[in-house]
Amino acid sequence: MKKIIISTIAVSALLFTTSCENDFDTDVKDVAVTSGDASFKTYVALGNSLTSGYRDGALYSDGQNESYPSMIAAQMKLAGGGDFKQPLMPNNIGGFTGLPGFGGKLTLQLVNGSLTPVPSAAGAALDNVSSGRPYQNMGVPGAKSYHLVAPGYGSLAGLATGTANPYFVRFASSSTTSVLADAMAQTPTFFSLWIGNNDVLFYAINGGTNSQTTGGVTTYTAATVQTGTGTSPALYKSNDISDPNVVAGSIKAVLDGLKSVGTTKGVIANVPYVTSIPYFTTVPYNPLTPAVLGSNITALNTGLYGPLKQALTAFGAGGRINLLSSTSANPVLIKDNSLQDLSAQLTAALTPSLGLATATAFGQIYGQARQATAEDYLLLTTSSVIGTTAPGAPAAINVYGISYPLQNQHVLTKTEAGYVKTATDAYNASIRTMADTYGLAFVDSNAKMVELNGKSGITYDGVKYTAKFVSGGAFSLDGIHLTGRGYAIIANEFIKSINSKYRSTLPQVDPNKYSGVKFP
Amino acid sequence: MKKLIISTALLAGVMSYAGGFRVSLQGVKQLAMAHTSAHAEDASVAFFNPAGMSFIPARLSIAAGGFAAGNKVTFQNMNTLQSTETDNPIGTPIYAAVAYKPIDKLSIGFSFSTPFGSTIQYPNDWEGKELVQKLELKSFYFQPMISVKMADWVSFGASYIYAKGKVDWDKAVTQFGGQVNINDEKASGHGYGFGFYFRPDPKLDVSVAYRSPVDMKAKNGTATFRFPSQSIYPLLGLDQSGQDRFTATLPLVEEYTIGLTYKVTPKWLVSADFNYHGWERYSKLTLDFDKAPVGNQADPTVLVAPKNFRNSKTFRLGTQYAFTDMIYGRLGAYYDESPYTDDHFIPETPSFNTYVVTGGVGFKVKQFGIDVSGGYAMPQARDVKNSTIGLYGQAKATAFYAGLGLSYNPF
Repeated sequence: MKKIIISTIAVSALLFTTSCENDFDTDVKDVAVTSGDASFKTYVALGNSLTSGYRDGALYSDGQNESYPSMIAAQMKLAGGGDFKQPLMPNNIGGFTGLPGFGGKLTLQLVNGSLTPVPSAAGAALDNVSSGRPYQNMGVPGAKSYHLVAPGYGSLAGLATGTANPYFVRFASSSTTSVLADAMAQTPTFFSLWIGNNDVLFYAINGGTNSQTTGGVTTYTAATVQTGTGTSPALYKSNDISDPNVVAGSIKAVLDGLKSVGTTKGVIANVPYVTSIPYFTTVPYNPLTPAVLGSNITALNTGLYGPLKQALTAFGAGGRINLLSSTSANPVLIKDNSLQDLSAQLTAALTPSLGLATATAFGQIYGQARQATAEDYLLLTTSSVIGTTAPGAPAAINVYGISYPLQNQHVLTKTEAGYVKTATDAYNASIRTMADTYGLAFVDSNAKMVELNGKSGITYDGVKYTAKFVSGGAFSLDGIHLTGRGYAIIANEFIKSINSKYRSTLPQVDPNKYSGVKFP
Repeated sequence: MKKLIISTALLAGVMSYAGGFRVSLQGVKQLAMAHTSAHAEDASVAFFNPAGMSFIPARLSIAAGGFAAGNKVTFQNMNTLQSTETDNPIGTPIYAAVAYKPIDKLSIGFSFSTPFGSTIQYPNDWEGKELVQKLELKSFYFQPMISVKMADWVSFGASYIYAKGKVDWDKAVTQFGGQVNINDEKASGHGYGFGFYFRPDPKLDVSVAYRSPVDMKAKNGTATFRFPSQSIYPLLGLDQSGQDRFTATLPLVEEYTIGLTYKVTPKWLVSADFNYHGWERYSKLTLDFDKAPVGNQADPTVLVAPKNFRNSKTFRLGTQYAFTDMIYGRLGAYYDESPYTDDHFIPETPSFNTYVVTGGVGFKVKQFGIDVSGGYAMPQARDVKNSTIGLYGQAKATAFYAGLGLSYNPF
């Protein structure tokens, strides 16, 4: 017994001394940050609003200071990176007074007891910070792929003709230069390129329409899905979907241009599906609950939905409309211009009961109407349209979404969403191929956005981020652009990809340390 | 030997599989010998096994003691190269016990102890602030007990446990740029314990004990939110001062112990213990708020945080040598298993597989005993890969214990 005990103690003592690993293998304080095969001496970021740090519907200085390229540059500085200068806006509001469509940022306010993003007036007139060049963040809000290679995109005179962009006008080296030319002039040692989003996004956020305002009246026409090389991008309307070959060709031109000045190392990101952002996922297709409609359900069914369904059924299109349910949520009424136009038929069918004039109005209004489905995307801005009065519509049938169809500009229909996805997939296939051809690091930002839009979102040190509007924390108040935290999640994807491609050891950033949605 | 087999059979049913916030500091003398249990010299045995009271060599015995326990945890994130150290206050677990034999066969007693608790304090702006900035857990066990000597060599004892507790938890609410304090000073719960104590041979003591889980119920807790602006308090169902009520249940888990002490010579004894802790019970923590929709369940006021603890074991080995009738030297070592894997590491109750070496001296003067002991812990550095809360990195810790205990066996 004695021997057993003694030997047990001896063995235990041995175990103690051999298996103790109470310190870290590597203490982070001893980790050297290195640039690997790359040099971060001059890092230039090319792209659009996402690159510039645009958020809450505007470009403003606090937002710019949390742009993803500025986060990456700060980490690069730990590995020999140089200064990273951004063309900061002169104020924290954003926008340009006197330029229509360039208002100040949205802020979250309590309106009638509920949280509402409220727009503000532009902070100042268009300034010029060109004397502070060169700027390493060359992200230009609103830029499409082909704009990066367009000479004169920074021309003040070009603003009137729509060939220039005020954000580039601010810091362009001349009225004839292009974004690419100014980037090449810096002979960057490293670049990032995230472009192509707007080539589909503008189409999507405008419900697949272009608009024209004359004498205070805005008219909407269906935007074009550009394909084939027949049309020069110079002739595209602003919300058309760009031809995938144009996008690929523009990106190639940027990469070739950079290569020609010796800039061969960089990172390129693909285009996220627009339908994973809150601008398209916040307003449900079926907001018309029995509680909302109240006692109107019977009147609507007998006076409108019933006769309409009956008439449509006669033309083999009865599936467009169902009677309103008094037990479950009902879809809104929308206009879908991909449907066969049945106005003439409806007019003819309804004339005996309603008279020619009314029947004609009905025909025009409901000729391409149907109820929305889960595959249609109601735009964020449409939430303030549903239930309001449609201007010029007959009094009994003038409530948007309920008795009067939401118009083309209010909805990204299933068909339109299909065009967007097809184009996005084509862009992304080219971007992926070029990343390999040019030997660049590649960021699958689309996959990250899809992950963010998933039910479980992305959790970072206990903070859960999702693509839910306002409460999700990752998207800013415009429902399209990210918050500082959302941009940090993207910055980390860039950093991971750079590290893996160039064997650098840039540390990631902590998303929770940046700013999110600001509550009132 | 037959007797030994009987007692082993009692545990056979549970031998299928401490760390956490269990604090094994309920006897100064015991700590010196790796906190082993089969020591029926005074009333301090009461917490370990009520049946042990029957073998105390005195009709009345009183014991009390206290400890200073310090620890520091370091967390580092290999992705962002951030490093964080806790600034925990010194913990002071205490205990007191009394045992009395009104008749030879019967002992009654009372034990007061603080077997569960921890206070962890991270820097307020550390990377895991959403999970915890400060967490203070305290428990007080009040145990009346009784023991019957069934034969010269065996006794059976049982206790009732009334537990009081306190939770005080600060954490950030990052999305709102604020903070919440979860507080309840009046949590309480009930449990029981029982055990057998054997002395089949004058040289051998065997202690077999079970202590039930105690579900500490916070029935009227206060959650205090502090946001930069108070205008959204009404939207979250909070009152003017940002407060809401909550209920929650924190399990203090069950423990099986088998311990034995063998007197190798009249002066030298060795002890060994095996503990089995039922941490599986702590699979999740549910906070049910009254109004605040800050949860993550179908009912928006219910917040469920997965914990996924697993049952854990502790192995202890200790020894005592009597230099004289008055002076005793003690040594011990134990291995305490962490109740969770790397995938479930949580910073509010950090836990490590830990080796501990202990030692101490004891003095006996007539009926009085005075003991001092100390322990040095060597928690094993570990990887942290908790995908549920998105916490990745490495953690390590250091810890020490020091204790002073008194015993008095007047007659």
